[in-house]
Amino acid sequence: MDIISILSEGLINGMKAVFTIAKIVIPLMIVMEILKDYKVIDKISKLLKPISSLLGISKNSTFPLVIGLILGLSYGAGVIIKEAKEGELSKKDLYLLIIFLVACHSVIEDTLLFVAIGANGWFLITIRIIIAIILTVLVSKFIGKYLDEENIKKFTT
Amino acid sequence: MEINKSNSNNKTFKETLLNGFKSGLNTTWILAKIIIPVYFFITILKYTGILKWLSLKLAPAMGIFGLPGEAALVLVLGNGINIYAALGAVASLTLSAKQITIVAVMLSFSHSLFTETAVAKKTGISVVIVLFIRLSLAISSGIILNLVI
Repeated sequence: MDIISILSEGLINGMKAVFTIAKIVIPLMIVMEILKDYKVIDKISKLLKPISSLLGISKNSTFPLVIGLILGLSYGAGVIIKEAKEGELSKKDLYLLIIFLVACHSVIEDTLLFVAIGANGWFLITIRIIIAIILTVLVSKFIGKYLDEENIKKFTT
Repeated sequence: MEINKSNSNNKTFKETLLNGFKSGLNTTWILAKIIIPVYFFITILKYTGILKWLSLKLAPAMGIFGLPGEAALVLVLGNGINIYAALGAVASLTLSAKQITIVAVMLSFSHSLFTETAVAKKTGISVVIVLFIRLSLAISSGIILNLVI
């Protein structure tokens, strides 16, 4: 393998990944904007209130949480970056969301990949979600109070 | 990069769609700036032999997870590249049902470290915290599952 073909493989793989992301992120953001402008997100967030209070996050955080959990970390992070820039997430929300999502994300795709090699999908998905919840609740209890008051005003990219 | 604050009251549906499309492009661009360089990096990494070398070094430690030494390559590829690369390597091994469960749980906590850590870092969390959480979850779950199942 010469260096040119390695670099072009890297570029092609990167572009493919970005294209895959664009195909999901653009429709996702359009749907999100509609849900937000027609106040549907408020209703969804209220419905998911038990989850946000369990994890110690604000109700604004439940949407990025669900997106990351189902679609994947990049998509969840994309929504988080956007919401944080709009000033809808506190620093505590941001930390707890990412901590939950790094431990547990893209549960459907990841789980199915392992099911394909013979793993027990229900076991995998359950253990991952439970551990992520425990971890987030613990972090929320320990560091939550230090981050409570700080809100992210200026979010740099 | 300016994102207009949603003003739900007096916006037409067209404006809503346009705003959504813009923020979709914006988010794609933010993610592209992270992902393209990381893909260059991991593609080069794949051809350097560093991952093979690392799996040879880690092979003796696989016993604590109840895995054969060759399984180190699966874990290293999954963490260094992605789950698909790891699954390719699983195919060349004969693992028991217990071993497959252990590999799957470990990799589901910790995989695609370069790509996903770069993305997570963009939200402002430190790389050290992300790596610490993921690797310690993977290692401890591997050890515990080997003991209990």
